[in-house]
Amino acid sequence: MHIGPGFLSPAVWASTAAVSGAALAASLAVANRRLDDRRVVLMGVMGAFVFAAQMVNFPVLPGTSGHLGGGFLLGILLGAPLAIVVMASILVVQALVFQDGGVEALGANVLVMGVIPALVGAAVRRLWRRRAGVLADIATFLGGLAAVLIGATAVILLLRLSAALPGSVSLWQAIGVMDLVHLLIGAVEGAASVAVVRFVLKTRPEAVFAGAGSRMEATSA
Amino acid sequence: MTKANRNTLLVGLAAAILVAGVVSYFASAQPDGLEKTQADLRADAPRHGGVEAPPVAFNEYSLKGLGEGFWANAAAGVAGSLLVLAILLGVGWLIRRRGETVKTSPDSQDAA
Repeated sequence: MHIGPGFLSPAVWASTAAVSGAALAASLAVANRRLDDRRVVLMGVMGAFVFAAQMVNFPVLPGTSGHLGGGFLLGILLGAPLAIVVMASILVVQALVFQDGGVEALGANVLVMGVIPALVGAAVRRLWRRRAGVLADIATFLGGLAAVLIGATAVILLLRLSAALPGSVSLWQAIGVMDLVHLLIGAVEGAASVAVVRFVLKTRPEAVFAGAGSRMEATSA
Repeated sequence: MTKANRNTLLVGLAAAILVAGVVSYFASAQPDGLEKTQADLRADAPRHGGVEAPPVAFNEYSLKGLGEGFWANAAAGVAGSLLVLAILLGVGWLIRRRGETVKTSPDSQDAA
């Protein structure tokens, strides 16, 4: 879902860059309360894994593919601030090293694939903190679907605001085409998120919910 | 580093390298959801001045000089995963260090 170079107007890419920049700055400012060694390692490893997963496009409708976003999953496992830091890092590497997404569109891409899904994921995180189970599974599936659809709709709005959609197409038509494809991609995102969250919570529960900032490991590295 | 952290690092990195280096080679080459939507709506031509990063070492997800095959993709996937890991461990370490010097926690004297 990376917005490529040349689709956003200067007003749109500049304002989305300002919003994402502010979100990233705020995330970095509160992140030190959340970090111990376990979380630094989990954050790094999950970042590498999400980068990897984004390379695997799976077929959806004829002539179309999709790939995981990962921001929602990270929001559950790390909370919104760290998830935003991870997604911003991935998107910067993708844009600058692999020409994936426009450089000027970085702020918009961080917004739709980082900030928005991370916030949805952070809401679902509360459920997992209380109790793992069917309810948390269902909320994770639906949350992943919702995060993708909200992001997809936001992309269409940004393209419309940038006058990058033909005038003959109504906003609702465009959202319909975009969201129909992303309904399927979102279902995969939701299902994959359930599987990964379950696995990580089973193997490293104390790295996911580490009593926010109260516990610093005395013997570091 | 504790044993649990080392295991997480090794298992996570192995999974990332397997997915980015091997599985991704078999990924669908069809346009993604946004590209398909833009093509369907006849909105796939750039309309503003945009900036694409120069292909210094990689042509998209292919290491330059290795063509477009399995190994070019594998090198890009492994390099990208390691780069993201290195950036995040670096950022995480910097944030922690800053936190340690700000806080008056019992072990703050140990912070170099």
